[in-house]
Amino acid sequence: MHRGFGLSRPGARQYLATFYAMSKKVVVEYSRYPVAFVAIFVQIFLIILLFIMAAKAFETPGAGTLTYFAGMMAYGFVTNIILSFTLWEVGYSIREEQVRGTLESLYLSPTNKFSNLLSRIFAVLTWTTLISIGGLALVSGVVGGLPVNNVGMALFVLFFTTTGFLGIGFVFAGITIKIKETAQTLVNGLQFFFMIFSAQFFPFAVLPEPIRIYISRWLPVSYAVDLFRTTLLNIPPELAPVSIELVIVVAFGILSPIVGYWYYNWVDHKARAEGTLGEY
Amino acid sequence: MAAETVSRGFGLGRPGWRASLDIVRTVFIARLRIILRYKFAILGETLLPVVFAALPILLGTAIAGNEQAAADNFFASTSAAGQGTTEFRLYMLLGANTFMVVSLMLWLIGYWVRREQETGTLEALYLTPAKRIDVLAGVTSYTLVRALIAFSTAMLLGSLLFGVNPLSGNFGVAMGYFLLGVPALWGISFFFGALVMRMKEANAVIQLLQWVVSFAMGIYFPVTFFGPVLKYVAMSFPPTLMNDAMRSSLLAIESFYGPWYQVLALMLLAAVTVPLLGYEFFLRTERRIKRDQGVGQF
Repeated sequence: MHRGFGLSRPGARQYLATFYAMSKKVVVEYSRYPVAFVAIFVQIFLIILLFIMAAKAFETPGAGTLTYFAGMMAYGFVTNIILSFTLWEVGYSIREEQVRGTLESLYLSPTNKFSNLLSRIFAVLTWTTLISIGGLALVSGVVGGLPVNNVGMALFVLFFTTTGFLGIGFVFAGITIKIKETAQTLVNGLQFFFMIFSAQFFPFAVLPEPIRIYISRWLPVSYAVDLFRTTLLNIPPELAPVSIELVIVVAFGILSPIVGYWYYNWVDHKARAEGTLGEY
Repeated sequence: MAAETVSRGFGLGRPGWRASLDIVRTVFIARLRIILRYKFAILGETLLPVVFAALPILLGTAIAGNEQAAADNFFASTSAAGQGTTEFRLYMLLGANTFMVVSLMLWLIGYWVRREQETGTLEALYLTPAKRIDVLAGVTSYTLVRALIAFSTAMLLGSLLFGVNPLSGNFGVAMGYFLLGVPALWGISFFFGALVMRMKEANAVIQLLQWVVSFAMGIYFPVTFFGPVLKYVAMSFPPTLMNDAMRSSLLAIESFYGPWYQVLALMLLAAVTVPLLGYEFFLRTERRIKRDQGVGQF
């Protein structure tokens, strides 16, 4: 017996094996629900179309502003969809395990919890990338070509943005254990909070100045969104110079998962001590 | 006695009108009691439509350059679609609020079915002598109360935030249309509940349908923006009719369904036929599922 892990041998191999097995489980689960898979694609296209059509209603004829805004919207949308999936798949899936009654038994097994949490999003993120490419192609088709610049740098920013979002997902998973049913509303609320205050569908200039100064500038997500889309559009970032935004995004990408996982572990220990882990 | 026991599958139960009322009341109170434990969820429903309305308002203002230009451009484009108005804030707020009501109805019925499936209580519910219509009536009454609370608070909050006055138009008539639209929404939610029971993937189906509904009912723009085929498909969707009826009375614009009496007639028709069709569809799906694998599988 080793530190309460039963007969298992915790180590890199076990972590990888857990990650592989759980990722496979997610893929198998998704394959059982093909409608869900198709629904994700269709949903993305519908959201983009909805906003483009709404934007068209406000365009000054002949001004040509729609392409620029479509770029802002479409690239912001990529960050939005990654954040949404992270919140739903990492955070809300914990709630689903609670409801089904499998969370407690899962935690009685010697599997590594970090691998467990990470595996919930890995497979989903892979096809989210494909969906995003499809979505961008659609917008490009509708508005007659989107500007695409500095792809390498944009992917670098997107990588740290994604790891940063994972941290938020871990925090949310911890909160879910505590708040239970309200998690569904909270995940919706968080999505919309970042949608508005991190200006995922429009330039930051649109937000009233007090909101920009007192809320948006304090959110690392805002810098991630800003840097990613302005890099692709090849325009200067709105919130801070490129070098500062880059430092913030990289720091966010490294620190957020560490802090998030620490918080998740803390909540998990507390829930186990109180015996509330399986309660819903 | 034995034959009597198994008669019509009601076991020993004798559901009369009193029992029916009791079932409706019990289900209603049970649902209400559950949601009252999660007050934050109710707050969220109030904020979501405001956020939904804020997005196109901010986006539109940014695209046009300033608020006046946004109002002028919106007037020009909606006039071309036969519904010219400069009140784009109220237009968006009303659309987002109506969408929230529709969405809540679908969510709550669909999720109720799914949650009962997941927790393993749906099959048990089917073994009780309670009539299905009574249970559904309880759940739908609860959804109506929740939707009404969300609608009125979001309308109030949104009006304050966006500086619009919903009482400037014909508010009473708009509310009348709202209430008249509710039975059709119930009917759609029965369709939806059956769909969730059949396909099981409630999350995906709900999320997808939410956007399909928002697209079809024109929450941000008149559905006359669409091409001819899509336009008529969207117009035949009861929530589009409800949304347009409310907008036309509050914003004093023409309904694209025609004069008021035509709108009223269409709404009455939808209020009668859609719930009947929806319930029939629910029962048929249920029968098929019971014949195949049973309602408990998820």
